[in-house]
Amino acid sequence: MYVANPTAIKALADVVVSSMQRFRIPLTPENYSLWYEYHIGNNRELQRTMDVIISNSADFDETVLHDLYVTFLSSAKEAEIVRETSVNVQDALRNLISVALRVGVDADEFGAALTELAAMEHTKSTDGLRDLVGHLIGESRKMAEKSQVAGARMRESASKIETLERRLESALVEARTDSLTGLANRRFFDSRLRALAGDAMNSGDELSLLMIDVDRFKRVNDTWGHRVGDELLRHLASTLQRTVRREDLVARYGGEEFAVILPQADAAAAIAVGENIRRALASVPVPLDVTPVMPPATVSIGVSCYQPGDPLSEWVGKADAALYRAKQEGRDQVRYIQ
Amino acid sequence: MTTTTTRLYCLVVDDSLVVRKVARRILNSLKFNVDEAENGQVALDLCGTLMPDLILLDWNMPVMSGIEFVRAFREKYGAVSAKVIFCTTQGDVEHIRDAAAAGANDYIIKPFDAAMLRRKIEAVLGIAA
Repeated sequence: MYVANPTAIKALADVVVSSMQRFRIPLTPENYSLWYEYHIGNNRELQRTMDVIISNSADFDETVLHDLYVTFLSSAKEAEIVRETSVNVQDALRNLISVALRVGVDADEFGAALTELAAMEHTKSTDGLRDLVGHLIGESRKMAEKSQVAGARMRESASKIETLERRLESALVEARTDSLTGLANRRFFDSRLRALAGDAMNSGDELSLLMIDVDRFKRVNDTWGHRVGDELLRHLASTLQRTVRREDLVARYGGEEFAVILPQADAAAAIAVGENIRRALASVPVPLDVTPVMPPATVSIGVSCYQPGDPLSEWVGKADAALYRAKQEGRDQVRYIQ
Repeated sequence: MTTTTTRLYCLVVDDSLVVRKVARRILNSLKFNVDEAENGQVALDLCGTLMPDLILLDWNMPVMSGIEFVRAFREKYGAVSAKVIFCTTQGDVEHIRDAAAAGANDYIIKPFDAAMLRRKIEAVLGIAA
C-alpha cells in the first residue's frame, strides 16, 4: 500500500502519532518509522512481532524499539532489493511454466518449480532467495533438456533468471559498499560489528577493532586538491585490504576514518596488524600522476578488544580514544587501550 | 543463613561459558542469586529443586534447546511465576514469535550489556532491579 495524496498522508500520520502516544513511545525518527511501517502493513514480520509484544503487554522500552528497528528497518534497503528481485524471478518463473504448459510438458516435470514459486512468496532473507534462484536455474535447465520443442524458449527463460541472479548479487554488494573506496560501508560495518560481537560472546573467542585515521588529511586536500585526497583514500583502502588477514572486515567508517574488525585476534595480534598497516603505508609514496611526487601518507591507529557484557559503543569508544592518543603522541603510530 | 531470602533467584541457561559468566556478573550486581545450567535438561532438573524468579535462556544448546525447555517447563510447572527471557542473535527474528508462543515472556538480542539486561529484567518482573 502506497499513500500518495496529502490528505491521506496527514490522516495516516495522525493515526501513527496517536498510536505512539497510546503506547508512550518517544517520537523519534526511528520509532516513527517503526510505527509507520506497523500501521501501513507492508512489513508483515514486523507487524506480527509487534503484535506479539503488544498482546503480551510487554514494554516497548528503548532496547525493544532499537532491536525492532535494527532487525526490521535498518536493513530495509536490502529487503527492498530482495522483494523486487523475487517479483522479477516470479515473473520469469511464471513465463517458464506457461511455456511448459503450452508445449505440453508433463505437469509433474515442473511440480517442483511450482512449489518453489509458492515458497518464494514467503522468502524474505537474502540467503533464502539466493538458494531459491540457484535452484530455479537448475530446474529450468532440467525442463529445457526434457523438452526438445520448447528447448530454446526454456533456455531463454533460464538465462533471464541467471541475469536476475547476477543483478541481485550486484545490487546486494552495492548496498553494502562505499562507492569511493569499494570497501564495506558504515551500515554494513555496524551490522557486522554487532553480529561478530554476538558470535564472540557465544564462543568466547577474542575480537578486536582498529580505528584508522589519515594524518593531516585536511592539509592534503588543501594542498593537493580533493581529487588527490580521494586518490589517497583509495590508496589507503587498497593498502588495508592487502595488509589485513583474510577473515578481517575493512570498512570506511566515515570521511578519512577507516575501521577493521578482527575476529579471533587478541590485542597483540591486532596491534601487529595495525603496525603492518602503518608500515606498509609509510614506506611508499602515494601513487599519483603528479609532480612533484606526493610523499608517503601516514595513519594513526587505535586498537581495542571486545569485552563481552560491555556495550558496543564502549568498545568502539576505546578504539577511538586510542586513536586520539596516537594523534596526541605524534601521529604515525599504533596505540592500544585495554 | 536467611539474610538473602529477599533476593530474587535467576537461572542462567546457556552452553556458552562466557555468556554465563557475563550474565552472572550483571545479575550479581543487580542483587540476584544466580545459578547456571549448560542446557535445558540441567535447567529443568534445577527448577525442580528451587523455582527461579527469572530464567535467562539461550536458543541453541545441545541436549535440550531453549524452545524445548520452554515447552517442557510450561507443561511441567504450568503457569508458575517464573519469567523467561530468551537470548537470540540478530537475524533469528522468527524465533521471537515461536518462543512467545511457547511461553517465553521477552527476549534479548546478543550481544547484550548490563544496561540492556537490566531494562529487560525490570520490564519483565515489573520492578526496579
